[in-house]
Amino acid sequence: MVLHKFGEKLYSGLVGTMTLHLQEMAKTIEAAQGNLFLEELNRKWNDHNKALQMIRDILMYMDRTFIPSNRKTPVHELGLNLWRDNVIHSSKIQTRLLDTLLELIQKERTGEIINRGLMRNIIKMLMDLGSSVYQEDFEKHFLEVSADFYRAESQDFIECCDCGDYLKKAERRLNEEIERVSLYLDSKSETKITNVVEKEMIASHMLRLVHMDNSGLVNMLIDDKYEDLGRMYNLFRRVPNGLPTIRDVMTSHLRETGKQLVTDAEKLKDPVEFVQCLLNEKDKYDKIINLAFSNDKTFQNALNSSFEYFINLNPRSPEFISLFVDEKLRKGLKGVSEEDVETILDKVMMLFRYLQEKDVFEKYYKQHLAKRLLSGKTVSDDAERSLIVKLKTECGYQFTSKLEGMFTDMKTSQDTMQGFYAAYAAELGDSPTLVVQVLTTGSWPTQPSITCNLPAEMSALCEKFRSYYLGTHTGRRLSWQTNMGTADLKAIFGKGQKHELNVSTYQMCVLMLFNSADRLSYKEIEQATEIPSSDLRRCLQSLACVKGKNVLRKEPMSKDIGEEDAFFVNDKFTSKFYKVKIGTVVAQKESEPEKQETRQRVEEDRKPQIEAAIVRIMKSRRVLDHNNIIAEVTKQLQSRFLANPGEIKKRIESLIERDFLERDSSDRRLYRYLA
Amino acid sequence: MTITGTSEKAAYQALKASDWHLEGAFDAFYSQPQPKSYTDARRLEDLYNRYKDAYADMIMADGITLLCSDILVDHQDIVMLVLSWHMKAATMCEFSKQEFIGGLQSLGVDSIEKLREKIPFMRSELKDDQKFREIYNFAFGWAKEKGQKSLALDTAIGMWQLLFAEKHWPLVDHWCQFLQARHNKAISRDTWSQLLEFAKTVDPQLSNYDVDGAWPYLIDEFVEYLIENGIIQNGQLSDWTQKH
Repeated sequence: MVLHKFGEKLYSGLVGTMTLHLQEMAKTIEAAQGNLFLEELNRKWNDHNKALQMIRDILMYMDRTFIPSNRKTPVHELGLNLWRDNVIHSSKIQTRLLDTLLELIQKERTGEIINRGLMRNIIKMLMDLGSSVYQEDFEKHFLEVSADFYRAESQDFIECCDCGDYLKKAERRLNEEIERVSLYLDSKSETKITNVVEKEMIASHMLRLVHMDNSGLVNMLIDDKYEDLGRMYNLFRRVPNGLPTIRDVMTSHLRETGKQLVTDAEKLKDPVEFVQCLLNEKDKYDKIINLAFSNDKTFQNALNSSFEYFINLNPRSPEFISLFVDEKLRKGLKGVSEEDVETILDKVMMLFRYLQEKDVFEKYYKQHLAKRLLSGKTVSDDAERSLIVKLKTECGYQFTSKLEGMFTDMKTSQDTMQGFYAAYAAELGDSPTLVVQVLTTGSWPTQPSITCNLPAEMSALCEKFRSYYLGTHTGRRLSWQTNMGTADLKAIFGKGQKHELNVSTYQMCVLMLFNSADRLSYKEIEQATEIPSSDLRRCLQSLACVKGKNVLRKEPMSKDIGEEDAFFVNDKFTSKFYKVKIGTVVAQKESEPEKQETRQRVEEDRKPQIEAAIVRIMKSRRVLDHNNIIAEVTKQLQSRFLANPGEIKKRIESLIERDFLERDSSDRRLYRYLA
Repeated sequence: MTITGTSEKAAYQALKASDWHLEGAFDAFYSQPQPKSYTDARRLEDLYNRYKDAYADMIMADGITLLCSDILVDHQDIVMLVLSWHMKAATMCEFSKQEFIGGLQSLGVDSIEKLREKIPFMRSELKDDQKFREIYNFAFGWAKEKGQKSLALDTAIGMWQLLFAEKHWPLVDHWCQFLQARHNKAISRDTWSQLLEFAKTVDPQLSNYDVDGAWPYLIDEFVEYLIENGIIQNGQLSDWTQKH
């Protein structure tokens, strides 16, 4: 027919016939009752498709020639459009179709089983008719209805469920919808429906969930509920602002607990316990972030900033951390494997990084290290050195150069002693064994240099050493630090008990006096030894007033040392052990006045550092305004301590006084470097 | 004419040049270099010898007392500071020969009468902002002890009282009280010069005080002191004398 130029007639005939036919079909479908409606629709659709295929085949020639040239809709498409217009959009079918579909979905959501295959076919039909049909006739409404459904459901759940349960339910619903899409909806609908669920079930109730009493985020954190936390993380990740909400609550909780920890008076009594608690807290949260929050970096950062915040709330943190390390290196790490040692030290380094006042830590660490080295009380040389290396990596050479100097001195002293004994072997055969550690003044913590009167045997020996040493090191000055030494004495008591006493140098001086006197008064001892009175009192107390270590007897038997007291050797002294340790030079938490003193020294040390930073900066910048100097100086000194802007200002003024800097003549906020 | 101490002719010229505006006339007058009037070197020499100390080649305390009575000025009068400034005197209570003669020359006087006549002019110089600043900053070096870097507190307070009587600053008394209560140390040059800036730029209610304004630390402390003691409350300068 086409060939005979009757294309138009053929085409319009097709349209007309098909339309009529479809209208008939529509009536049949409309007539279908209840459940059969969809099936009928489906059947008729299949029929139509088959018919369409045949028609297309038959009219192929027209399809290829007449239609394109006359810009008519191709046969197949025409068939679809007519189906759409006459069946799907027929007034009786359109609404009914939508309602039926939605009803079925609702049934499935409430737990009923539905015919998924049929659903898939119908939906596919809509998709075949064009994405606008799918969206307009189905998807749009589907999303609206779903939103209502989930809004209501979430409201119910939130009233009766606790947080963990609610989240489980939400997760389940989410998975259901995803499954639904994969089974019988257009895949493009997935994101849209999940957004609906996320919004209604999660986003709307986010804050309420997180802050729920007894089951909210804070409780989960406290009770280490990894599974629940993980679920919360995964769900909240999907909604805008979800993770920040979790993060913020975690941060404020952590800061609060941390603050309580560091200000808890009980904990503060035991520095080692204090630090251990900090480490435990850190471990706890590391685990949570690892297991539940998939190692999310932003959470790591929140953790770090919280720790930094509360660790620095307590100004004694640097001291306590050093004491913790001291305890570990003196005995805590005894028998621990090398790997575990490294782990513990690394954890300590983590805490160290949080400190703002690293220079305070350095001061204490030096003191404690000195005591450890001099009393020979370190558990493992390797562990000590390992920690120094870690500190060096963290803070640079300057930080650890003095510490390393201390180790070097110890080593050098050993060599010196060998040389000394080699040189004087013959003479020294009978004398007491002397061990000297020569300390380079700059590296070790500053001590007031007080001497006392050593017993004759010792002082002779010491002089020999002095001349030996100065013989090989001319131009140096040696001063004996008698307040830092120890001595081992062999003693025989009244009933023949033999003991070896490990004492401090001061204690040795006191005890040796009793080799030539039975009774000595406090004054006599003071005169003979010239030990400063407060030290002497402490020393006598430890020798006479401590049960189990009272090698001396005191009259009267009071606990305090009075000027008029008299001392005797305690002939009745007993101890289970042969070796009795009396002297202690162990690092301890500082007393209040000592703490003040250290703090003062730290402040004094900071002044030249601030000045050096100012000069360095001004030298390179030549001219700089006030606020920028403060910012730059603070930044430069950050790795050691937090510089106080007021103090920086004072240093600037001091430098102006000394003609290092001047104010600019026209802008008083500018400073100029004076070469 | 009364204020600047100049001649009728010069006054007329200045006023005319500035369209008969008084302020403009002052500016114009001060910015032009002073006419260098002829001074007799020998008369200056004689004058110096009148005041010179018996034992040293300088004018010392006695000479200055005589000079003050000659020109009918109290020796604590601020005009003596201005005179010292003209002389570029190194330190107070003494003038070297060079300073004395040089100073009088630059003023264009070579006799006691002429010097007396110059006094109103010198007083007027304090009214000029730029000159006041120069004189103020000069005062620091002049008033301090020789060889010292800083100015003793008592001297500083005395100088401030004197100077801020001229250039009225409402907080000067509080400042001095603050220093005596809290500082009790010498005053550095930077603090001295910055105080003038502070008095000029920051209003007495401290409403435009900028805590990041690079003021010397002492001035920051002063502001804290004012607020702590309720002298400045809600931006109001309350009358402190009423409380105490």
